[in-house]
Amino acid sequence: MSVLRPRTIAIAVVALAGLALPLVWSHPFVLHVAIQALIWALFAASWDVLSGYTGQVSFGHGGFFAIGAYTAACLTKLVGVSSWVGMAAALLLCALVGLGVGFPALRLRGHYLALVTLGFGEIVSLVVTNWQSLTGGAFGMHDYGTFSGLPADPLAQRQMAYLIVAAVSLTGLAILLYVTRRTSAGPAFRAIREDQILAASLGIDTTHYKLLAFSLSAGFAGLAGSLYAYYIQLVSPTVGSSASSALVIGMAVFGGIGTIWGPFLGAILLFSITEGLRFIGVVYNLIAVGAVMVVFVIFVPRGLAGIRLYRRGRQQRADRLKADEDADKGLVKAE
Amino acid sequence: MFEEILEFLILGLVLGGIYAMFAVGLTLIFGVLDIVNVAHGEFLAIGGYALYIAMVVLGLPAAVGLVVAPVAVFVLGLAVYPLLFAPLQKRLGRRAPGPLFLVLTLGLSALLQNSLLAIAGGEFLSVPPAVKGGLDLSFTYISGQRLLILAVAGASLGLLFLFLRFHRQGMAIRAVAQNPAAAQSVGIPLGRIFTLTIALACGLAGLAGALIAPLFSVYPAVGFTLTIKAFAITILGGMGNLLGALVASLIIATLEALSVIVIPSEWQNAIAFGTMILVLLVRPQGLFGKKP
Amino acid sequence: MLSVQGVSAGYGRLEILHKVALDVAPGEIVGIIGPNGAGKSTLLKTIFGYLPPFEGTVTFENQTLQGRSPDQVMRRGIGYVAQAGGIFADMSVHENLVLGGYSLKSARAVNAAIEKIYAQFPRFRDRSRQRAGSLSGGEQRALAVARTLVISPRLIILDEPSAALSPRLIEEIYGTLADLNRSGIALLIVEQNVRRILDSAHRVVVLDMGRNAFAGSSDELRRSDRIRRLYLGEDAG
Repeated sequence: MSVLRPRTIAIAVVALAGLALPLVWSHPFVLHVAIQALIWALFAASWDVLSGYTGQVSFGHGGFFAIGAYTAACLTKLVGVSSWVGMAAALLLCALVGLGVGFPALRLRGHYLALVTLGFGEIVSLVVTNWQSLTGGAFGMHDYGTFSGLPADPLAQRQMAYLIVAAVSLTGLAILLYVTRRTSAGPAFRAIREDQILAASLGIDTTHYKLLAFSLSAGFAGLAGSLYAYYIQLVSPTVGSSASSALVIGMAVFGGIGTIWGPFLGAILLFSITEGLRFIGVVYNLIAVGAVMVVFVIFVPRGLAGIRLYRRGRQQRADRLKADEDADKGLVKAE
Repeated sequence: MFEEILEFLILGLVLGGIYAMFAVGLTLIFGVLDIVNVAHGEFLAIGGYALYIAMVVLGLPAAVGLVVAPVAVFVLGLAVYPLLFAPLQKRLGRRAPGPLFLVLTLGLSALLQNSLLAIAGGEFLSVPPAVKGGLDLSFTYISGQRLLILAVAGASLGLLFLFLRFHRQGMAIRAVAQNPAAAQSVGIPLGRIFTLTIALACGLAGLAGALIAPLFSVYPAVGFTLTIKAFAITILGGMGNLLGALVASLIIATLEALSVIVIPSEWQNAIAFGTMILVLLVRPQGLFGKKP
Repeated sequence: MLSVQGVSAGYGRLEILHKVALDVAPGEIVGIIGPNGAGKSTLLKTIFGYLPPFEGTVTFENQTLQGRSPDQVMRRGIGYVAQAGGIFADMSVHENLVLGGYSLKSARAVNAAIEKIYAQFPRFRDRSRQRAGSLSGGEQRALAVARTLVISPRLIILDEPSAALSPRLIEEIYGTLADLNRSGIALLIVEQNVRRILDSAHRVVVLDMGRNAFAGSSDELRRSDRIRRLYLGEDAG
């Protein structure tokens, strides 16, 4: 532990410096990119809790994001609640929806679960497109306002928005990391990912923990959606499209599936890079995301998080070796 | 009322032919490789673009375009296994692939779709129908293109089934789907069969894309909605079951066509997704599947 | 004709076979026996190319086999009958035989070979259109053997041909194997049924914990008290 201390401090310093950068270099475009990157980061981390960490791959996370965004927009526009209430409502409602999706999905695995979540995302997108009286149809919703209590000055407003988004997003990350690393849910999630049947035979209540993963993941995706709604001040059906589900998976793959902080960081980096690519041409950013997914899945399966691990060296490689061997032994016995 | 229903039934049959050409390929890939190809729709879109290039850009006759398009997509499909799937299979070794192939093909889908967008732009390109005129029944009119779709869909699927049933390589494809290790022991090279299977399925999707181009226009995302619908169809028919996919295509297409009578057409797409979720919850192995 | 030298192999990083050696001469029946987990099936899979060996060489008629895939190995003239048979259950008997000739280029040669097999196994001619999966266990095993004959192999590798069969069916399948051997085909057979294989095999190789424990004729094995005690489960007395 004492060996790790200076490293932890170094990482913290770099992270804080990175976070402070958009406040120091307060160009509106930099802030704009940074805010959206943090929203996507929370979204990617939320996807990873369910899909990477617990191994229940969701292809329809855009659906939760959209529900969160529309919940926030509707509540603020129609009821006039503050953005804080809107965010909390988005979180809770999406957690409930996640529970609702999780229940029927309990029996499904692998391909089937991915396809049913894909269908869920499409249905959300159909509903928000066609429920015109509430959602404004294909044109979406606007004119419901931004975060409550922002200053009037445009730059200060954006800086404040940045601080809010950063605070919410990092708190979200901290909670997800805490739940998976410091509570009994973490090992249960990992056990479900490795072998559901074995997990159940070890006395892990897989139903309970899968539903927990579903609602946790959906809730924070919804929270990210509400941040998006308040910052962009326009929600349309495209926010929940399968393209955004694909984008978030690409970000997670880029950062390193199954680590939670990896997708968080991966989203920030990939979003910044692809926004940079917008200077070259609007569509190239999505080509890049596709290329990243293809190349990383085949050649860099651990993502950026995995590359970093190489420096920590032997211990981890030995662990991995042993895990592989254990898996092999299990296979051989099964034969 | 009866004539209206009959009219929608005919429309459903035409649509079902397209769905079937697409879904049968998708389910074939799943049956042989155990991979759900999320990028399948992009091959359909490429088929449409190939027809557009042949007919509109180069001014070739429609018949040539309808041959060139599937062949071009078939050739492109030949590259998918050796370039993308084989390296990932090799890296995974004997470990379970899990959802990684889904992520891979999802990435391929984004890559292809947005490459099309970058190259061809987002506008809807219209292609003239391959055949003019049509069939005038007393109560409805069926355009020549729709009749062509029916004929080509029937013929191509029929040929595929004959190929799989009687041809040496077709039998090898079925053998690999049933028992890859035994297939190897009789001398079937897995890699070549995987490559061939994907290319065949892609070629079929390319042909479907060329056939619907005059009806729906050509644009980058033309295949993606169909992909998601085809998942519903393959699940309904039992994943990996070709005949099941064919029947399910006709069921879903007919339901969609008839639904217009009862519900607003914007909700038409919900039928496929609703059916998919219902089937997965009630009978995950599909109508004709064995165990999932 | 088949020569295995110093072969180590296994799954992933787990080594199961340690420097195993084995020879099969033309026209010979060689049995491989040993306790569960000794690596018998692993050895067959390694010879046939399902598993790449970590080290060592496998040659057949002076050609190198290691590093080749099963479909390449079988083209050298080796048939393989997997433990459960490995037939294509959802295909007809005839289709199974046609696929047995997949590696032959000419359809006529395949048909001629199948005709010969039907002459040898008349019951398959009667049931040529029946689903292979609906055959009885013994017939499925026989079909798997017959399927290898389409390419006229010079060596057939069999993984426990007697598994899960009744004594009568075991005699039947071993009768078939004896016929094949008389026609000049060498056989390499992994077998749990030690008595049965000792009656048929010219030579026996005993594997234990992934190593060669004994090699010799069936009679030598029967005479060795230690081997009998250890591997035949008999009292030496």
